[in-house]
Amino acid sequence: MKSANRELLDRLAAEYVLGTLRHRARRRFERWLLSPQVGALVKAWEDRLMALEPRLGAVTPPASVWRGIESRLELNKTRRAATVRWMAIAASLLLVGIVGVFVMRDRPAVEAPALAVTKKAFIQENPQTIYWRVELRGDNQELSVHVHVAHELGAGKALELWALPEGGDPVSLGVLPTAGDRHTVLSAAQRAALAGSKQIAVSLEPSGGSPSGLPTGPVLHVAPLAPA
Amino acid sequence: MASPDSLPPEIELAQLLQRCAARDSAAFRTLYDKTSGILFARLLRMLRRRSVAEEALQDVYVRIWQRAAQFEAHRGRPLAWMVTIARYCAIDLMRRERMTLVSDDSLAEMADESAGEAMAFEKPNNFDDCIGRLNDKTRECLTLAFVEGRSHDEIARITTNPLGSVKSWIRRGLQSLKECLSAEGRAT
Repeated sequence: MKSANRELLDRLAAEYVLGTLRHRARRRFERWLLSPQVGALVKAWEDRLMALEPRLGAVTPPASVWRGIESRLELNKTRRAATVRWMAIAASLLLVGIVGVFVMRDRPAVEAPALAVTKKAFIQENPQTIYWRVELRGDNQELSVHVHVAHELGAGKALELWALPEGGDPVSLGVLPTAGDRHTVLSAAQRAALAGSKQIAVSLEPSGGSPSGLPTGPVLHVAPLAPA
Repeated sequence: MASPDSLPPEIELAQLLQRCAARDSAAFRTLYDKTSGILFARLLRMLRRRSVAEEALQDVYVRIWQRAAQFEAHRGRPLAWMVTIARYCAIDLMRRERMTLVSDDSLAEMADESAGEAMAFEKPNNFDDCIGRLNDKTRECLTLAFVEGRSHDEIARITTNPLGSVKSWIRRGLQSLKECLSAEGRAT
């Protein structure tokens, strides 16, 4: 920086901090504040002139001021959003934590369910749009999935069903069918996971299901698993 | 709300600001409770009108929340940092509101409302000496600008001096202050 420029900038910085740099000149100078040199000049003046601060007693502002700040910054919403975000992160971590995966297509299909339905879940957008009815038979021994409304699915994509055991890793229950019914005999790991699950979830995966055994796409649905 | 008899230690304010930077809204509320009385008094001093000062106070805390991450804890002086934001907010608002001077009555009224322990900022050792070396007119101009937020034009009107003289006293006063303070800085 040339010394003449530096001198001019220092004078502008002084008047900016003092408050006598006004209007367009002030706006223009504020654009230069991003420059480290100008920022340093301003800070130096802020330090110098702070001693001019008057000794003032506190004056309590009305409560409406805080309410205004809270509403402008949407602090209530932020708190709620933070909680939701945290829950979503926790859920994602659980999903990511999965080690084993059992894909439904690899399990032998059961021709006719022999056991009584003990738990069920509806995977739905809303009460009018149920995509799948999921039923567990016996002591979580068999799984039946009935397609109600075909879920929209892009080419090369699949939807995978997951058990969400409380306090444990989620366990894949296989790729969901896009039409008709499917009956599956569950493995011991799937039965154990379902025994501790109050919810099941659906994630978007590449065609054929998660290649790594870990969920790779977003969780599209979470549904409660209720006694039948 | 800010309690005049328990001005917060700066370290606590610095910690609160750091928590605000991490989007801790509870810390922000505590910071507001501890400092809003001081900043409101400062804004009233510059803006005079309560309704405008209340609006400015909202702007100030919105900026504090948004800029908390820019507060440099190692530089310390969190209250000075916040007061500076308040002063700049007030100057911006004056421009927007095209504010005019109000009578001295309202100033007297505000002085009555102000009570309790005052905030005090650390001064360079030789500050009083350096400011004392300025002539009375220069000192008055600097104070009207910094403390009351007055523009060159307003200072000229208040002090009934020509605008050119006011501008020149301020420019020379700032330069003298800088030289005097840095001379002492070199000496110590």
